Amino acid sequence: MLQIRDIHVHYGRSHILQGLSLSAAPGEVIGIFGRNGVGKTTLLKTIAGWLQPTSGTITIDGTAIHHLSSHRIARLGIGFVPEDRRIFPHLTVQENLTLGFLQVPGRSRAQSRMALDEVYAKFPRLKERRSQPGMTLSGGEQQMLAMARVMIGDARLLLIDEPSEGLAPIIVAELYAIIRTMKENGRTVLLVEQNITNALAVSDRFVAIERGQIVHAGTAASESDKQQLMEAIAI
Amino acid sequence: MRDAITLQTRAGHWLVALLVLGGLVFAVVGFATGDTFYLRLATEALIFGGLALSVDILLGYTGLLSLGQALYFGLGAYVSALALIAWQSFWAAIGASLAAALVCGLAGGLIANRVRGVYFALITFGMAQVLAKAVYNTRALGASDGLIGVPVLDINLGLFSVSSASPVGFFLFVLAVTVLFYVLAAYLLDTPFGRLLIALKANENRVLFIGYRTSTLRLGSYLVAAVIATLSGALYPMLRGFASPELLFFSTSGNAVITVILGGVGTLVGALYGSVLLTIVKSVVGSWTEHHLIVIGLIFMAVVVLLPKGLMGLVQPALVSVLGRGSRR
Repeated sequence: MLQIRDIHVHYGRSHILQGLSLSAAPGEVIGIFGRNGVGKTTLLKTIAGWLQPTSGTITIDGTAIHHLSSHRIARLGIGFVPEDRRIFPHLTVQENLTLGFLQVPGRSRAQSRMALDEVYAKFPRLKERRSQPGMTLSGGEQQMLAMARVMIGDARLLLIDEPSEGLAPIIVAELYAIIRTMKENGRTVLLVEQNITNALAVSDRFVAIERGQIVHAGTAASESDKQQLMEAIAI
Repeated sequence: MRDAITLQTRAGHWLVALLVLGGLVFAVVGFATGDTFYLRLATEALIFGGLALSVDILLGYTGLLSLGQALYFGLGAYVSALALIAWQSFWAAIGASLAAALVCGLAGGLIANRVRGVYFALITFGMAQVLAKAVYNTRALGASDGLIGVPVLDINLGLFSVSSASPVGFFLFVLAVTVLFYVLAAYLLDTPFGRLLIALKANENRVLFIGYRTSTLRLGSYLVAAVIATLSGALYPMLRGFASPELLFFSTSGNAVITVILGGVGTLVGALYGSVLLTIVKSVVGSWTEHHLIVIGLIFMAVVVLLPKGLMGLVQPALVSVLGRGSRR
């Protein structure tokens, strides 16, 4: 579904992504690893339309998206869960979620209600806190809310940037369970993560990025591929 | 249980009801004592309250600091004055002002919304200055003297009519119009559109990533603010019988921002109370000394330091907790 061909991305004069290509099939989870500053987040931001590649193409089911603005890309079903504080702090949990489905074209009120109920069933903690402002949630709950929001927006492709950063292990386990459900529902996930062990447990494939290029790719099931990954990113 | 924003909005409604009640008592007292001066002054406070309300929609909800909202206020005053001189009809004046607001608001919004933050503030300031200078130097618009000779007007409201020369009648009319602006703004900000503006204020990129064209949202909010500012301005020549270029100057825009900060940013009702308070202070201090701006400056500084949420920051939390207890029961 996702095809990235030979993209180059610059921040001013710095050449961040240097001819990166990657493809993903429906329902596939791809772990993206690498040291800080190698271009992992840049890759996600470029797919989400925050940054425009200077050359190369990105297509979703055959539609070129690399020249589209962020909101159009989001409407094509691409959900970005960025690493920073991820939610709207002054809006309630429910409002944060309903903003997520307002933009899904052609969805009836009843369908939206169902989508909301479905998300609440998956995230009972969010249901409990539905009238609370987003800023009163803990870091882990905020991250859940951000993921729930892209799910409710019917995203087919999720771009998740370091979901476990700074969170307690028990919350991280819950988040990964959610990622697993997303995969089972046929959603494609690109997962940028420092915690390689956790990420590999849900990934089908992985790539290692070094200086803006993919230096190693493999399947998560293969022990020798994993060994090479550790060597490639020198951990 | 209601969420915080809804409770705050409700608290705002109660405070507006209180303002209306105060206004009615004031009107009765003013009528009984045959007062003209204070009724006229209060009418002016409400008109400038409408301008402040428009600033609060931008600043308090969308996170856009406009330093040129006087552009629309002055536009309304001039267009309304011209229409009143030509046709002596309230509805013609309001219709012409509304049309001008939509056209200029759209044009101004498209220009100003290309940038954010300080640049937005500077562009709005610049646009207002351009219009102010143009009007100031246009003889057909009365140049530095302003447009004078706006006739006294009978505002035909179907069942009855109100004369703009009647201090009590016109005060009550402006009170009703200002409350209408408040209700419109509060309603609009309570819709998903309003929630999106609050989201936009927190983080524009995040709104983009969930699939909204944020430029359209910002333009929408700018346009609503422009319409409210223009229509408020349109009432001014009915009250004073003239439109002066000062209405377009930075002092008018700056006063509106000070009003909102005094009253409480992001509360809507704060803009109205702020305007009443500022008018009282100006009038009382102005009767002792011509340097009343020094006092206003000191009050402004004190509010920023001691009451960062403005006057409403003192009153609204208490009201919210009372309403919150009520809704949980």
